[in-house]
Amino acid sequence: MAQKKNIAELRRRLYANIRSFFDKNGYLEVETPILSSALIPEPTIDNFSTMFMNEFLGSRELYLLPSPELYMKKLIAEGYGSIYQISKCFRNAEQVGRIHSPEFSMLEYYTTGFDEKDSIALTIRFLRETALEDCGIFEREPEIISVRDAVLKCTGLDLDLLQNASDLRSEAVSKLFMNIPSAEPWEDTFNRIFCTFVETAVPENHAVIFTDYPAQINCLALQNGNYRRRWEMYVGTTELANCYAEETSVQKVRDYFNEEYRALVSARSGTEKVIPDSDPTYANIFENFPACSGVAMGLDRLLMLEAGLHDIKDTLLFSM
Amino acid sequence: MIKAGQIDKGMGLLIKGAPYIVVEREFVNPGKGSAFVRLKLKSPTTGQTLQETIKSQDSVEDIEVVDHNYQYSYNDGEYFHMIDEDTYEDTPVQMSMFEGYELLMKEGESYRCTTYNDEIIDIQIPSKVVYLVAEAEEAIKGDTVQGATKFVTTETGLRVRVPIFIKQGEKIRVNTETKEYLERVND
Repeated sequence: MAQKKNIAELRRRLYANIRSFFDKNGYLEVETPILSSALIPEPTIDNFSTMFMNEFLGSRELYLLPSPELYMKKLIAEGYGSIYQISKCFRNAEQVGRIHSPEFSMLEYYTTGFDEKDSIALTIRFLRETALEDCGIFEREPEIISVRDAVLKCTGLDLDLLQNASDLRSEAVSKLFMNIPSAEPWEDTFNRIFCTFVETAVPENHAVIFTDYPAQINCLALQNGNYRRRWEMYVGTTELANCYAEETSVQKVRDYFNEEYRALVSARSGTEKVIPDSDPTYANIFENFPACSGVAMGLDRLLMLEAGLHDIKDTLLFSM
Repeated sequence: MIKAGQIDKGMGLLIKGAPYIVVEREFVNPGKGSAFVRLKLKSPTTGQTLQETIKSQDSVEDIEVVDHNYQYSYNDGEYFHMIDEDTYEDTPVQMSMFEGYELLMKEGESYRCTTYNDEIIDIQIPSKVVYLVAEAEEAIKGDTVQGATKFVTTETGLRVRVPIFIKQGEKIRVNTETKEYLERVND
């Protein structure tokens, strides 16, 4: 019990440091709903649903948010400027393991006028200034490497030359001796390679930032040739943060919503999984949307790393 | 056949027709990607390890492994001699398959083992074990520096860094994964 109480105190200190950092740097702390009538369609994230029931207004399905992105972007479109939020997020069927819990705490911060490179500098400063005492991980400068260079270094495969699924698959099978089902989409084979050879090469006590993810992985980050302007930060095999240079084109956001919603419905139809509604008018908020970059960081994971723990459960006062 | 999402540490799997034991299992959800299970597998026949990343939804062939108690008798430099506690049969296990286990296992002690086709493919050593200090360096008199340490050797031959107050003949609890001293044990 004493240990859990200690963790509660460490979390309080970490959150106080986080709030002080963003307050000092002119960000507005916001609180947006965690219960919503529509979500951003993301086929790889399973959702929780519940029923709103009112005798007079009628019933409708509501969803627990897997990230506060949906509402935070609405605030940015309304001119709130740079904002941050500490919130609870929910991902159903999230595998319960060393670094996964279906309910978790997330920090998201959006900086207007920033791109993903500016967010790297900000995040390095943030981690250094908010770190708990005795945590040496973020004192050292993180290694910054593009996904293409990291895959080349760890496996010898050049993603630039392996842009179609069958080429990537045959190289992975012949050179890396991997078992890959035929007709696997490019992004799944890429993720297999990345998880097996690249993630496992990240040192335990040092942060590495992988930049420029393959464009085949559809998301709301700006595209640049074969890649997208986003990065992820790892410490060991723990993915800690994810950042985009945010897409601001109405048409591209609309296309993304349409494509991903179709993929989501086709993947979940006939299963017991929740098919959340998506708001067809959401893309309109990008008509007047400033350039900005957003970072999402898992706070239970951050606390786990900073407190020298090895399982996310040890950071939670109660777990499933 | 089982779904990869159901795989757990200690299970046996058939990969390309060869049996493997799951040594490590981690769930991974790459950003914007499907859920995967990353496995570290060990071949019970060659001792070689293998990394595999499988989609949680994919099916894999599992093999029937049986957990059973064996008493560790002795090693002859090449084999651990493990005695089946039900049949008293000596089941030799190649030492090269379990590197360093001779420093962790105590003769006469019972160990839970995983078997496949009557062969031992995994020996489970508890994560915390009490050892007798067989040899200890003398602490330097007057050395009162906080956190000062020295090395001792356990009855199994394991060298452990301990605080200077630990003496020969005392018992200590050791983390068998990191080989680190945890605490002194008083009977």
